[in-house]
Amino acid sequence: MKHTKDALVGLVVLGVIVATIGAVAWAKQADIGSRRHDVYARFHDVGNARVGNAVVIRGVVGGRIEAIELAPAGWVNVKMKLDPSVQLPNDPVVLLNESSLFGDWQATVVERGALPQDAAVQREVREAAHGGDVIPGVSLPGIGKLTAVAGQIAGDVANVASRFGTSFDDQAARELRATIRNVADLSTTLRTVARDHASDLDTLSNQLRAAVLTMNRTAGSVELTARRLDSAVTSDEIAQLVENFSVASSELRRTTVQVRELTSRLAATQAKADVFLSTSDSVLAKINHGQGSLGLFVNDPGLYRRADSLFAELKALAADIRANPKKYVSIRLF
Amino acid sequence: MGTTTHIAEGIGSATLHGLRSVGANARFVGETVSAVRDVRTWPGQVATQAWRLGVASLPLATFIALFTGIVLALLASYSFTGAVPLYFVGTLVEKTITLELAPVLTGLALAGRVGANIAAELGTMRVTEQIDALETLGYDPTSFLVLPRVIAGVIMFPVVVAASMLVAVAAGWLASVMLLHLSSPEFTKGVRLFFEAFDVEYGLVKSASFGLAVTLAGSVCGLKTSGGAVGVGRAATSAVVYSAILILVLDAMWAITWLLGRGNGR
Repeated sequence: MKHTKDALVGLVVLGVIVATIGAVAWAKQADIGSRRHDVYARFHDVGNARVGNAVVIRGVVGGRIEAIELAPAGWVNVKMKLDPSVQLPNDPVVLLNESSLFGDWQATVVERGALPQDAAVQREVREAAHGGDVIPGVSLPGIGKLTAVAGQIAGDVANVASRFGTSFDDQAARELRATIRNVADLSTTLRTVARDHASDLDTLSNQLRAAVLTMNRTAGSVELTARRLDSAVTSDEIAQLVENFSVASSELRRTTVQVRELTSRLAATQAKADVFLSTSDSVLAKINHGQGSLGLFVNDPGLYRRADSLFAELKALAADIRANPKKYVSIRLF
Repeated sequence: MGTTTHIAEGIGSATLHGLRSVGANARFVGETVSAVRDVRTWPGQVATQAWRLGVASLPLATFIALFTGIVLALLASYSFTGAVPLYFVGTLVEKTITLELAPVLTGLALAGRVGANIAAELGTMRVTEQIDALETLGYDPTSFLVLPRVIAGVIMFPVVVAASMLVAVAAGWLASVMLLHLSSPEFTKGVRLFFEAFDVEYGLVKSASFGLAVTLAGSVCGLKTSGGAVGVGRAATSAVVYSAILILVLDAMWAITWLLGRGNGR
């Protein structure tokens, strides 16, 4: 009987121990007997990732984080155990990120091309990529970090608010009240001035109104003229006008060229005329001085009279020749 | 003047009584530890006591664990309405059961069953002078009666508590699946999400300390019994009360020294 009890106690103790160990292994997801393969990744920081967190590939849990340990040169190595059927994507990168809002993290294996378009993430992956067979990894900021940043911002706002409170003390409030009173006094003075000069302002206002009316009328006239001009000139006429202007312009240009040539010729002619006039001047001077035949002829009255009588005799001779040609001309054919 | 003297006398008497009790209990613990050397006497009694204290207590412990697990799952789902995903029912059941409820509830239940049993048994032996007879026959009552019970308690309390943990988590699982329409993968996800082997280790070590406290309290109260059947009843009651108080004090002590220290160390 005693031996039976001993055996029962032993069985119970052993059974509970085995059951407890089995339950703990199940809860820890220990891979007893299964052949998983190890994959290593390295990070600058692993955030809140812990041993036992899931390794997710394309949304499917493919393994667990087996170990996290510090490595030289500021790196953290993460060992992951993946199921035998799991195949990593080409050029893989491991992202450590929160899997829910309640603090549980996971390691997500993605292709490098599927990384978030964030400069800091890309830089960290580039830095972690020189580890040989070790997969580069990066830890994305969790809700805790975001909350910390938000807390920092809130702290800054509180600092600004406290500084504002410090600067806006009782003295500042008194000065603000004095400023408000001064503005009220200034407003009263302005109202008095406005009342005193109200008539001037009315006159000025009337004149301005009259000027504006005149301007309005002028603008109306201008608008009417423009409308008439617009209605009088059609687009074809404008084109013809432009063409005429073009022709006139080209002719004017040609005329200008001709005038320029004429001017140059005129200059040459003027030079020749100058030479001619100077020569004539010297000839006339000689004539005036009675030099040469013409000078003698012009300055000697006897010569003039003889020449005149000569002309009279020549005229009489010509008349006699016309009256009696046979007297002077004898034509014989044979 | 007279009142002041009475107050001073009362305080002094209570202090001396407390110190005497502490000294007597410390001496009792010292004698129990010394009795370990009497290897001819106590090993043969351990299995019997393990059966009575541990194996025989399993039905009660598993019954308590069964309903604790069910109620805890339902309470968790009630608390998680809306904002928290329902798979955290598994997390809460696992953490609460392993860290606190299984050790403490099982410890309190065994304090009533085991502590009262030890105190009544030893008290009866005391008032019927059976212990005097043992001493006359050359047996050390501590090594023959106390040490086997203490060793059995330290060994079997964690066993019973471990069984309670398993039953409670399984009951929570079943309740979640059948009553909360939570799928098994969701529940297991919640259980595994924040599971650490430390949780079980902490609960089992704590329950071992409870076993030590309950068996020692029962033995002390039983061996000090006097006054016949009334004294036996009083000893049993005292054993249950002291055991319950010690369990709660030890629970707080473990939480402060171990759990809090570990939490700060993370």
